[in-house]
Amino acid sequence: MSIVEVNHLTKKYGTTEVLKDINLEIYQGEVFGFVGHNGAGKSTFIHTITGITNKSAGSFKIMGISDSQLNHAKKRIGVMPDVSNLYENMKGLNFLRYMGKLAGDKRSKPELKTLMKEVGLEDAAQKKIKSYSFGMKKKICIAQALLGNPDLIILDEPTSGIDPESTINIRDLVIKLKEEGKTVFLTSHNLDEIDKVSDRVGILSDGEIKKLGTPRQLKEGIAAGVTISVRTKPILQKNDIQKLSEKMNTDIIFMEAKKDYTLLQVPSEEDLPEVSKEIIQSDVHLYEMKVEERSLEDVFMNA
Amino acid sequence: MIHILSREFLDSFKSVRSILIILFITFVSYQSATFIDSNPGLIQEIVKIGGEEGTVYTAAIALIVLILGFLFVFATSHDLINKEIELKTIRLLVTKTSRMQIMVGKFLGTLLFWVATITISFAVIFIISGSWFLKDYFHSFVFLFYIVSFVVLVSTVFTKSKLTMFLGILFGIALPILGLASAVSSKWYLVPFKYLLPYRYLEGSIGLMFVPIIIGVIYLLISVFIMQRKDL
Ligand SMILES: Nc1ncnc2c1ncn2[C@@H]1O[C@H](COP(=O)(O)OP(=O)(O)O)[C@@H](O)[C@H]1O
Ligand SMILES: [Mg+2]
Repeated sequence: MSIVEVNHLTKKYGTTEVLKDINLEIYQGEVFGFVGHNGAGKSTFIHTITGITNKSAGSFKIMGISDSQLNHAKKRIGVMPDVSNLYENMKGLNFLRYMGKLAGDKRSKPELKTLMKEVGLEDAAQKKIKSYSFGMKKKICIAQALLGNPDLIILDEPTSGIDPESTINIRDLVIKLKEEGKTVFLTSHNLDEIDKVSDRVGILSDGEIKKLGTPRQLKEGIAAGVTISVRTKPILQKNDIQKLSEKMNTDIIFMEAKKDYTLLQVPSEEDLPEVSKEIIQSDVHLYEMKVEERSLEDVFMNA
Repeated sequence: MIHILSREFLDSFKSVRSILIILFITFVSYQSATFIDSNPGLIQEIVKIGGEEGTVYTAAIALIVLILGFLFVFATSHDLINKEIELKTIRLLVTKTSRMQIMVGKFLGTLLFWVATITISFAVIFIISGSWFLKDYFHSFVFLFYIVSFVVLVSTVFTKSKLTMFLGILFGIALPILGLASAVSSKWYLVPFKYLLPYRYLEGSIGLMFVPIIIGVIYLLISVFIMQRKDL
């Protein structure tokens, strides 16, 4: 079942189209990640589907509720928008109490403190938000998105600009939310981050979704074939690979000869057994052959 | 909405500016009421020339609200709406509740603060004079309703809080002058102010006093309409 359904969504600021005809479905219970460079339109997308800004054209539905009725869905959506200012003069706990009341959250003070711990905020309940570090502000902003026990949680760059330990914390939190049956939508400009927690990833560039799929599909989709590294003695050179290609009658592309291995590309995984057989039968010694993972960064560069 | 209302209301008491204003209004009401109370001859004089007893006691507070009301409310609340838009904290509110509720909550919270302020003054007068002057109390309420809704409108239309601070001083001085002038003069260019500002409606029948409330509600509706269209 889709929890978010976006049809031909367009957002213009003045004459510039920041979101161009976006079509997207986010399914119940999945972690969906939006990746894109700064200025790609990730935040604008979140603003548009959460009522922070008004759409220019198109439509969307959240949990079956159409965008014109969005107010009725708000209690079931938790949003961490890209704000840098919170209510600076409030103490952390009071901030969560206020946000909690608005979200219809019935948690008591001790329970709110537990929530603060869960997002990695210890001993910050009675401190004013203006004394918080950037990372702490991010965390309390994530905490307020969880108030009211929403079914859909939308986090705008939850891990940007914070330390590695907190990043892992937040990743664990996202996984925990998914295990509780929540749907999580998050954005990042860090591909590795998104890659690790997301069931599906969309690549946004210039306000358009350039690619969409599981992290695995995206990685496979980009390469024309499978990249493998082959460690042999002596090292295979370009002409060796050309001979191999002719012999097998398959397009095997020589990419690079490193100090002790060679990178090449074969059309598909199906070709791997044959390639290894041919190498073994030739007069070089084969030590190792492995498929190279392509990082999402490669996918992204090509988007 | 009730939570935004109560936060706006309680926060009002935390600012130095509001506390000074409350102290000022209470002090002036107290001073003038005790002065009048210790000069019963004065009341006789004024009642003789057609004034009401209540008007005498509440004259000071009525004057403050009529003359300084715009200035005071602008001083405390000129950035009621635009500040949160500038700081982007409005995004936190808007993802949890409707824009309509945010606006109405902020309006009512601010109005309640002012109603509390004048209630304190009327209570002081009550202690001294022994009577609660309901009509004057209602007048002040109507006036404040109008002013607060006007401030909400200005704070929504103009997105820069620096600008509304300046406009607040300007309006705070100009509107009472224009309003009072238009109530007594019939120059054509004062006519719009005569009907748009609340001053002339405070004279005469109770029914007329609802006109400023209706105008205030229209200001609020315009504010909500503008707010709905904003990208926050
Ligand atoms: N309020 C606005 N007015 C005009 N342009 C905007 C506004 N908000 C964002 N933009 C523009 O929209 C584009 C996308 O911005 P944004 O959604 O914040 O990107 P991202 O979150 O992916 O970094 C940028 O070019 C930005 O300058
Ligand atoms: Mg962004």
